[in-house]
Amino acid sequence: MKVEITVNGEKKIADVSPETTLLKMLRDEFDLTGAKLGCDVGDCGTCTVVVDGESVNSCLMLAARASGSEVLTIEGLATFQKLHPVQQKFEDLGALQCGYCGPGMIMSAKNLLDKNKSPSVDEIRDALAGNLCRCTGYTKMIEAIQEAAKEINTTNAL
Amino acid sequence: MRPLDYIAPKDAKEAVDLLLENSDSSCPLAGGTDLIVDLKHNPGNITMLVDVSCIEEFRGIKEIEEGLKIGSMVTFGEIMSSELCQKYIPAVIEGAHTVGAVQTRNLGTVGGNLVTCVPSADSAPSLMVLESIVTIIGTDGYKSMPIEDFFIGPRKTILKSHELLVNILIPKKNLSKPSKFLKHGLRKGQALALVNAAASMYLNKSDIISEPKIALGAVAPTPLRALKAEAFLEGKKYSEEVINEAAEIAVSEAKPIDDFRSSAKYRCDIIRTFTKRVLIQSADQAKQKN
Amino acid sequence: MVTRNKDLQKTTESLLKKKDSQAPSKKPVSVPGDNPVIYPLDLPESDARLQTPAVGARATRPDGRLHGLGQTKYIDDMSFPHMIHAKILRSEYAHAKIISIDTSAAEAIPGVLATLVGDEIPVNTFGPTFQDQPVLADTIVRHKGDGVAAVAAVNEQIAADALEKIKVVYEPLEAVFDPQEALKDSAPKIHGDKTNIYTSKIIKKGDVEKGLAESDHIFQRQYSTQMVEHVPIEPHASIALWDGNGRVSVWSSLGRITLGREDLSRTLSLPQSKIRLIGTIVGGNFGGKNEITNEPILALLSKKTGRPVKCVFTRGDEFISSTIRHPFVMDYTTGVNNDGKIIARKIKLILDGGAYCSWTGTTIGKGSILAAGPYNIDNLFVESYAVYTNKTTTGAMRGFGAPQVCFAYESQMDEIAEKLGIDPLELRLKNAFTEGSASPTSQQLQSVVLKESLKQASDRFGWKEWKK
Repeated sequence: MKVEITVNGEKKIADVSPETTLLKMLRDEFDLTGAKLGCDVGDCGTCTVVVDGESVNSCLMLAARASGSEVLTIEGLATFQKLHPVQQKFEDLGALQCGYCGPGMIMSAKNLLDKNKSPSVDEIRDALAGNLCRCTGYTKMIEAIQEAAKEINTTNAL
Repeated sequence: MRPLDYIAPKDAKEAVDLLLENSDSSCPLAGGTDLIVDLKHNPGNITMLVDVSCIEEFRGIKEIEEGLKIGSMVTFGEIMSSELCQKYIPAVIEGAHTVGAVQTRNLGTVGGNLVTCVPSADSAPSLMVLESIVTIIGTDGYKSMPIEDFFIGPRKTILKSHELLVNILIPKKNLSKPSKFLKHGLRKGQALALVNAAASMYLNKSDIISEPKIALGAVAPTPLRALKAEAFLEGKKYSEEVINEAAEIAVSEAKPIDDFRSSAKYRCDIIRTFTKRVLIQSADQAKQKN
Repeated sequence: MVTRNKDLQKTTESLLKKKDSQAPSKKPVSVPGDNPVIYPLDLPESDARLQTPAVGARATRPDGRLHGLGQTKYIDDMSFPHMIHAKILRSEYAHAKIISIDTSAAEAIPGVLATLVGDEIPVNTFGPTFQDQPVLADTIVRHKGDGVAAVAAVNEQIAADALEKIKVVYEPLEAVFDPQEALKDSAPKIHGDKTNIYTSKIIKKGDVEKGLAESDHIFQRQYSTQMVEHVPIEPHASIALWDGNGRVSVWSSLGRITLGREDLSRTLSLPQSKIRLIGTIVGGNFGGKNEITNEPILALLSKKTGRPVKCVFTRGDEFISSTIRHPFVMDYTTGVNNDGKIIARKIKLILDGGAYCSWTGTTIGKGSILAAGPYNIDNLFVESYAVYTNKTTTGAMRGFGAPQVCFAYESQMDEIAEKLGIDPLELRLKNAFTEGSASPTSQQLQSVVLKESLKQASDRFGWKEWKK
């Protein structure tokens, strides 16, 4: 079936079988391998992408369902000029180790900051509950998200 | 995933017809957070998905004369950010907040949660203590019933395979009723409830309890109303002893099982503690309103 | 916020600026074909990494940039033209004889290109300590995670469907799941016919019986720990390509590629010079990716089909088939004087090894040597046995047996402190290793700052105040 979708600002069309998940379409049809398959059941969150402004597990969403939507993936976050503040702070603070959870984690963090300009530690933990990381213990990520929030707020205030 | 057909019908009637025509092989698709997992790992004989998530009639949260109407395909994320829900039914938001995690809440729907009908469904207890009415649609048209009658057993509702849940109505008299939901899971996110509980009640100026409602999840084959504990509380003066006694009665009404998540004995301890807590916190709200 | 080294920042900025000028537009990086120009893949080494000592300085990870951009290529992000996908059928039983395997129905499915069973593998055994594990079980399955056959097909779903068509006839054997049961004479023997103990260790120091007899108090307790799976977010994954010159290239999430190449060489009966094993960035290892799993299977499926073959473990494969942490059953008998001085300690460790040895050699060694804890004990006896059971194979996991024994000896230290009415911290300080202390195996220890560490740590978290 034909799926028309806007991914990272670009209109795309794919012909996929109906059982294709959004994740599979992003990876196999569009070569966007940032979002990853970790558990295949919606527990680990490494497949997280933002669909019409809401973060979702792309492994649990059919591509057909996303037809007509605007999808943002990790690949659409940075521009040539600049990393997204969350990406920059994750890098500066060493928030990622093996990195496999990173794309999903950063998308969840980005989505949180879009909705909540200065999240508390508890709010950050709540927002990351659906993203599992086995390396870091999350502490650096929480710090990085708080730093990113500060930066975004400072930039916006200027 | 195995090859599937996917159809997104335009309205409820078309969906019902499709499901009826293909009753051996079709299944309605709501948020998909349970169903897609099943289809990946244990597909059974399902070869057709009827996507009901975009049907207008099943969408939206509206304040109507009879109360607050929540479409069955409203996601938990939508409930949490709905101003109407925040204003009228905070306990339902508390329940929604404990479902999965952000990403699953943005996909998962309240109707899907109720129809999946696991004993630990986190949306059920709050809706039960607010005496919600569910409306279903089938070949004979619409039918409404109290939410308790909707649940038959583990993973089994009153729905026939072609019938669909349309909406959930929280009656006007229970909007803004003091109420509280709590859940105990092994971690805060992405965990099924070992026990969840909700309560609602009114207190008058002399602290007399009226219309107390208690609902418990993951303690019996379906989400359960603790009717004896409710009857005990009705008309009593609010006190620690009365709440403790009600919690004991609630424990006796539950039929928890041993499973890999928890022993029945541990569940009983949690039921006791949580029944107390949801009652006390509902009462605190009631006192504030007075 | 820790600011990065200014020079480094400048270098990065100028680097970015330079790239900016080359950048054609402000489009997101996902635009096809435009991807790589901007990335400072030649990010300068942060000074902290070059400093000696680097302690206290923040170092940036060289791979951090690509991780954050989602551009790191893990195995599942790689593909080759005409690549096909493999799936592995797991055993139906914890312990059974394989009577026959019939793959013909699977091969008949359109899209299936090849199947593989154990007796097609040139040398069907591997293992990092000793080679007791089949790549695909061909005569006996010893746990439910044992692979019995593999299928390569044009996509994963067809491969998965084909697995269901493979007919395996088993003759179930009695299974044993408890390591203590497995020690009994009557227990079914999992390898050979004599015993399920496959490796053991004994450490003796002083005279433990005399020491215990002379102690004021004896403490005795059994401790046990459970299985733990590493759960790397990236499941085991590899791609193999057998080329026309008889050489095989394998891209794998394996952590130990040189050892992996040895195992590939053995199992494929191919000289190491003909094997190229490329370790990619690993999406979480924790000890669970230290040995080959499906690599020889993929190599042979590639040989059969002439295609690159990929296999990514499902989360289910990951739990039942990859290695896990050894559960320990630990008997501790400790003799202590009234003042808290430990006089003697007798320890028996039973390691639940699961179906195969894997990294048990390292685990039993480390577990045994560390079993007495970081305490000066003159009279010590440690005996350890690793035992086969019909469960998931246990192997390397962070600490190789150290966390298990630590749980036991520190639990017992708390019990001793409580019973004798001594502050738990004081009890540890009284017995702790100091500079020049000898380990249970008589290694003279240097740079020992245990007491200082304990004191500083307890000061920082307010131990004394908390005690009040």
